[in-house]
Amino acid sequence: MTATATPETPATPAPAPRHTGRFARLLDAAAPRSTVLMIVGGVLTLVGGYLPWATFVLNEGPYPEKATLNFFVDPFGVTGFRLHLVILGLAAIVVAALRRIPARHRIVRGLGIGATVVALINGLWITVEGGGLGAITASEGSIAFGSIAALLGGLVTVLGASAGGLERKPVWTWKLPWWAEWILLVVLFVIVLLLVAAVLTSGGQGGVVNPYAGVVFLSLLAALGGAFAALNASGLLTWVSVVSERHRTFSVIVLLIVALLLPLTSAGTEYWMTVASNIGVYAATAIGLNIVVGLAGLLDLGYVAFLGIGAFVAANLSGAAASHIGIHLPFVLVMIISSVVAGMFGAIVGSPTLRVRGDYLAIVTLAFGEIFVRSAQNNIGGLTGGANAIPNIPAMGVGDFKFSDSIVIGSLRLPSGVLYYFLIVLLVAAVMLVFAHLKYSRLGRAWIAIREDEDAASAMGIRTGPIKILAFLIGAMLAGLAGAFFAHKTAVVAYDSFRFLESVTLLAAVILGGMGTIPGAVLGASILFVLPEKLREFSDYRLLLFGLALVLIMRFRPQGIVPDRHRKAELTDPDVEDVAKEGPGPLPTRVEP
Amino acid sequence: MAFLSVRDLVVAYGAIQAVRGVTFDVEQGQIVSLIGSNGAGKTTTLRTLSGLLRPVSGTIEFDGTPIQKMPAHEILSRGVAHSPEGRRLFARMSVEENLRLGAYTRKDEAGIAQDMQRVYDLFPVLGERRTNKAGLFSGGEQQMLAIGRALMSRPKLLMLDEPSMGLSPIMTQRIFDTVKELRDEGTTVLLVEQNALVALALSDKAYVIDLGRTTLSGTGAELLADPRVQEAYLGENVGT
Repeated sequence: MTATATPETPATPAPAPRHTGRFARLLDAAAPRSTVLMIVGGVLTLVGGYLPWATFVLNEGPYPEKATLNFFVDPFGVTGFRLHLVILGLAAIVVAALRRIPARHRIVRGLGIGATVVALINGLWITVEGGGLGAITASEGSIAFGSIAALLGGLVTVLGASAGGLERKPVWTWKLPWWAEWILLVVLFVIVLLLVAAVLTSGGQGGVVNPYAGVVFLSLLAALGGAFAALNASGLLTWVSVVSERHRTFSVIVLLIVALLLPLTSAGTEYWMTVASNIGVYAATAIGLNIVVGLAGLLDLGYVAFLGIGAFVAANLSGAAASHIGIHLPFVLVMIISSVVAGMFGAIVGSPTLRVRGDYLAIVTLAFGEIFVRSAQNNIGGLTGGANAIPNIPAMGVGDFKFSDSIVIGSLRLPSGVLYYFLIVLLVAAVMLVFAHLKYSRLGRAWIAIREDEDAASAMGIRTGPIKILAFLIGAMLAGLAGAFFAHKTAVVAYDSFRFLESVTLLAAVILGGMGTIPGAVLGASILFVLPEKLREFSDYRLLLFGLALVLIMRFRPQGIVPDRHRKAELTDPDVEDVAKEGPGPLPTRVEP
Repeated sequence: MAFLSVRDLVVAYGAIQAVRGVTFDVEQGQIVSLIGSNGAGKTTTLRTLSGLLRPVSGTIEFDGTPIQKMPAHEILSRGVAHSPEGRRLFARMSVEENLRLGAYTRKDEAGIAQDMQRVYDLFPVLGERRTNKAGLFSGGEQQMLAIGRALMSRPKLLMLDEPSMGLSPIMTQRIFDTVKELRDEGTTVLLVEQNALVALALSDKAYVIDLGRTTLSGTGAELLADPRVQEAYLGENVGT
C-alpha cells in the first residue's frame, strides 16, 4: 500500500476563536467546554434513543412500531429512527473523544444537526397525532421523554461543536493501488444502492394502509443527511469523488450496473419498480430541461408540454383502440418519432427567444404550456382523447413477449415492470451521456457563454439565435423520448399529467439539484417526485410542506444540492484552492462596469 | 482606400438616432481614437462596426469589403475583434475559459494554444492565475483579460471600448502601453475613450464625435493642441 495521509488541518485546532454573530456570547461561554458538551450531547441523544417516545398507542396504531412505548431492554435490538439516533449519538461521542480526528467539531456538528432534526420530526409527529405534549411527556402513569432527551442531546451537541470552532475541511491525498481503488468504489456504490433502496422503501407504500410512511421516510432522510454532512466535513467524500474522478469510466460503468441491480434489493417489487420508473421519466426530462435552463439559461415554464407531446405521439402510434391514427409501429421507431416531433415543437417555441429575453421569454413559454394543456383537454385535432384520455395503450413488446411481464431466471423471480425499469435506466444513462458530451463541447461552451452574458457572447462570434433554438430543440427531444416511454409504461396518457404545476416541479428539480449538473437534476427529480409519493397522508398539507422545503433549501443552499463547480480545475490546481474554499457565492458575481 | 472606412453612418434605437453621420478612416498599423463626451454615439458606432447593431444608412468597408450588413460572427472571422464597454467578461468562468471563448470562431487548436501563450506573455498576471474566476479580478486585471480575450480571435483590427473605465491612472497607463505594444507588433487599433488626454497622446489619428456626428479630426498631437478640443474635452486637465 502506498497510502500517505496529509491532512491540511492541524490535528489540534488553535485555541477557541472568538465568535461573532447572534449567538456569540453563548458560544464564547461554551467554548472552553466544547468537548465535554459534545460528549454530553451525544450521551443524551443515545439515552433519547433508548427512552420510550410515546405514552400511549396512537389512534392509527403504534408508531412506528410497538417499541416506541417501551424502555429499551434489548440494547442491540433497537430499530428504526431510534437506531439512527443511537448511531448518531455514539458517533458523536467517539468523534468528540478522539482529539486527533481532523475537523472534529465540524463532523460532530453534522451528526448533531441530524439528531436534532430526527428528534424534532418524530417528536412533533407524535405530539400532533397524540393530540398534545402529553403524548411525549407523561400521562396516565406512563412516561416518555425520549424525544425531549434526544432533541436536547442534538442541540447540546451542535452547541458544543459550534463553540469549539469549526475547522476547515481537511484535504486527503491518499493514493491506493488501482485495484484497491476499484474495489473501494464498487463497495461504496453497492452501499449507495442499498441506501437508495432503503430510502425508497422506507416506511413502506404511502396511503391509508400505512399512515406513517411519510414521517418514517422524512426521519430517515434527516438521519442520512446528518451522516452525509459528517462525512462531508471529514473530507472523505471529497476524497472519494477525487478517486472516482480518477477512474471515471470505471465509475460510470459500475454505477450503471449498480442501478440495474436495484430490483434485487428490498425495492424489488412491482410497486417500487413503478415508482423508480416514474422517477426515471422525470429525471430524463429534468436533464433535458437542464440543457435549456441550466446550460443556456433560458427560463422555460412550459417544458412539461414536450413530455406531453412525446407521450401523445407515442399513444397515437401505439395501436391503442382510442387512438385516432390506427397504426402500430415498433416501439423503437415510436420513440424516435415522438422525440423528433417534440423537438420540432421545441424549435417552434424556441424561435421567439430570438426576440424576447428573461421574464418575457418565461411568459412566452408559460403561454405555450397552457395552450398545450387546453388543446389536449379539449381534444383539438382528436389526437389526445380530451377528458377521456387515451387509455389501454398496449405494453411494449416483441412478439408475444411483453415488457410488463415478470421474468423468472432459475429460482430468481423479478417482479413485473422490471423490464421497464431496466429500459428507463438505460434511457436516463443515454440522456446523461448526451448531456455530458454537449456540456463540454463547443456548443456547450456557447450555451454557457450565452447564459452568462448574451451580448458578450455575440461579440465573441457566437451565433446566439440558432444556438438558443438548438437548446430548445435538444431539450424538447429528450423530453419527447421520456414521454414516449411514459405513455407505454403507464398505459394511459391524459392531459392532466402535463399541467403547469408539473413544469414548475421540473424547474424546481433542476434548480434544487443544482443548475447545469447531471447528478443535481437526477437528485432533484428523485426528491421532488418521491416526496409527494411518500407524503400522501399529509395530503392537504403536501404542497405546503413541499413549498416550505423548497424555501428552506433555497435559503440555506441557493446553489443547489450538487452545485456546478469547475471541478477538474478545482481538484487538480492547488492555486485555485483559496478561491474554492470560500465556496461558490449564492449569486453570480457580476463584473462591475 | 483605407483599411477601415466608415461613411455617413446613421444608427437608431427605434425612433431615436444615436449616430447621425459618422465618417472616419483607419489606416493599417495605426492607433485611431474616437473621443467625445458621454452619449456622443461612440459606443453605438463600435457596436455597429462589430455587427451587434444594424445601421439605418451609411457604409462600413473593412479591408475592401462592405461589412455593414454582415452578422457579428462573420465580421469577427474577417478579423475585427471588439472588446465591449464595461469589459463584459464571463465573470464565473476562469481566465482560460474566457480566452477560449475569445477564440470561439477558430478551430486550429495549435494556433489557439499559441495565442493563449502570447496573451499570458503579454499579461503575466493572467498566466499566473489562469484557473481563477474572472469575476474575482481587479478592474485592471479584468481589462487585461478583456483585451486578451479580444486578441484570441487573432484580429487585424482590435476595437477597444473605454479600456480606461474605472481604472487608476497608473493602471490606465499600463493598459495603454500594452495597446502601443500591440500596434507596434502590427495590430491596428480603434480606440473609443472619454479620457481624451491619454487617448490623444497615444493616437496616430483621432476623431471627435459630438451629438452623433464626427466634427473634428487630426493627428493626436493636432487635436491636443486644438483650443476647441481643449475647451470641450480636456477642461482642467490642461489648465487654462
